[in-house]
Amino acid sequence: MENIQFIDLNLVSVLILFVVGFVGGMVSGFIGSGGAFVLTPAMMSMGVPGMVAVASNMAHKFPKALVGAHKRNKYGQVDIKLGLVMGLFAEFGVLFGKHIMVGIKESFGAAGTNLYVSFVFVVVLAIVGGMVLRDAIRERRGERIGTQSAGPSKLVQRVRRIIIPGTMVHLKSVDARVSFLVIAPLGFATGLLAATIAVGGFIGVPAMMYILGLPAIMASATELVVAFVMGLGGSLFYALEGYVDIRLSMIILAGSLFGIQIGAIGTTYVKDHVVKFVMAAIMLLVLVSRFFYIPGYLSELGSIPALAPATIGWLDGIGQAALVFALLFGGVMILQALYQGIREHRAATLLAPAPQVIPVAAVAGGPQLSPLGRFERFLVASDGSDFSAAAVREAIGLARRCGAEVHLMSLIATGVEYEAMGTSILKQEIAIAQAHLDEIRGQAVAAGVRCETHLIQGSNVHQEICDLAEQLNVDLIVMGRRGRRGLARMMLGHATAQVIGLAHCSVLVVPRAAHIEARRLLLATDGSRFAEAAAITAGSLARACGAPMTVLSVTTESHGPERRALAEQVVARVLAHLRGEGIAADGQVLQGEPSECVIGLAREREVDLIVTGSHGRTGLERALLGSTSERILNATPCAVLVTKAG
Amino acid sequence: MSSPSSAPGRSSRALAITLTLGAASAILYLLLFLFADRLNELAAATRDGEKLYALIPLAVAMVFSFVHGAFTGHFWDLLGLRAKK
Repeated sequence: MENIQFIDLNLVSVLILFVVGFVGGMVSGFIGSGGAFVLTPAMMSMGVPGMVAVASNMAHKFPKALVGAHKRNKYGQVDIKLGLVMGLFAEFGVLFGKHIMVGIKESFGAAGTNLYVSFVFVVVLAIVGGMVLRDAIRERRGERIGTQSAGPSKLVQRVRRIIIPGTMVHLKSVDARVSFLVIAPLGFATGLLAATIAVGGFIGVPAMMYILGLPAIMASATELVVAFVMGLGGSLFYALEGYVDIRLSMIILAGSLFGIQIGAIGTTYVKDHVVKFVMAAIMLLVLVSRFFYIPGYLSELGSIPALAPATIGWLDGIGQAALVFALLFGGVMILQALYQGIREHRAATLLAPAPQVIPVAAVAGGPQLSPLGRFERFLVASDGSDFSAAAVREAIGLARRCGAEVHLMSLIATGVEYEAMGTSILKQEIAIAQAHLDEIRGQAVAAGVRCETHLIQGSNVHQEICDLAEQLNVDLIVMGRRGRRGLARMMLGHATAQVIGLAHCSVLVVPRAAHIEARRLLLATDGSRFAEAAAITAGSLARACGAPMTVLSVTTESHGPERRALAEQVVARVLAHLRGEGIAADGQVLQGEPSECVIGLAREREVDLIVTGSHGRTGLERALLGSTSERILNATPCAVLVTKAG
Repeated sequence: MSSPSSAPGRSSRALAITLTLGAASAILYLLLFLFADRLNELAAATRDGEKLYALIPLAVAMVFSFVHGAFTGHFWDLLGLRAKK
């Protein structure tokens, strides 16, 4: 068996690898496909054996796939079961692919695997590059490329009619049962290709779309699970054989993570067909590059008459030049598209009329200057799920009662997951999200509420929500509540909890089953200035809704009589304020665990909205201490308004 | 008008996070170069039968990806390179 030799690293090779990674990452982000089809050949051109290049590329892809899958799962785009089943069979494909590689290597040496990898590259890139080029030409001519028909295609229907007892799996993404014997070969082929050229998505995504009938967005998101499972397994299989050169992987990763974002952002500034032309051009150039290496490998293996070293040198030189040209071409095209797009966008923004100051909706008694207790402008975050549907419904209802206007936002996630998310898929996602926002705006307008929509692209959900809230100067952010609780919620960084921590305005959290009918409000107070602010806000809301209110203060067993007397005073003071405002209010002081007392009393008095102040802590302090507000938020079935002291 | 103190406060916080992640990423890469030969030896040892060493490159990949990925995300955001809205 021929020994595998890792290449020596020096400053020049490190810089080249970094630049290759950067351009490869940029291409990945721009065309929405794994950049390994650029990176693997580039590494091979630097003298890295084909098998080490494939293994090292797999090693830096699977963690990115994990991050991407996790992010897009939060938007409900991932069919985890399908991803795992496909990933499992992809693992067999990877194992088989690796065995082929090891077998070829043991029989024919590194030249054998280089030839095999190059040959597969040429064939796959010819097919995929040709199809992308055809699509680009058709799109440029203005022809519509239908990928999503009204119903399932004939092939999809035929696949769903295959019923083999004991093998059927329900797929939530298509709401249909499919035999895993159909999924198995798709996964296997994806894994086999991934183990051969480190790009499995060329098979996985189209297979899920055209054979299983998944929408493009879900197919690309689910592919991330498959990529993670097979990438982890594949990297492990190759690492067990000692073929992963982690130094190369990490240098490529350093450049590619910088590049992915540039490429991904670039897609938002250019037209679809431009992206596809760039993608096709790079693929075909890489194909040409690999093609020129093949005679050298064949000569080395003795399959053709031996070529003179000078001839092999020339052919290799042409191959290298073609690859360098492909990388330069890709890099320059993307940077130019990004620069031009940003310039045009800025020019258009400058020419656009200055944004009008959004008029404040008519409120009884006129606009209020103090932000405390003001309910004139709401921001509702919706991701189209059942969880946010409740938030939207209640926000519109509350806005109608308060005479407020509603700003509705939806977020399209961006970030490293772009690597498996083409621009056409992204644009489809944007279209779906905008249609969803428009539908809700229709409902709001029908209910007599003024409504504006905002479609935002970003990677940080809570930051984008808080930024928009600041920009619009809203009084209230309305959000749904996911079902996660306890440690999982804390570790996953629940967007709602993070918004409460960061926002400067009040946040209304609406669980899925909550209905705010203004039967009764419950104000939880501890006498702090945060609770005082909550009292003013709750009073304002109770007046707007015409609802009665219960004021509650809780002492614990460790508190002495002085503390209990203080709680009585606090409740009496708040009651005096509320009654002075003409609100029907009663008060109670209970002893026990604060959140349990609040939730228990809310249930007993049939309260439909709990109001509580926030100390505004975020991060480790909040995670360690836990706040009463958060415990209430996690456990109560009714809506909770968390107010900020301002 | 939005709170005037919020934007500078947020940007200095974003700068601090980016610098911290950047420093962490730089340290990781420094360690990678310092121990490059050792990593090669580990790969060679894996080929010779020490299969447990295979887990090391995977762990390295995970750690680098999370730290450096978080850094680059914040880096471009801080420079104002954002997707068209």
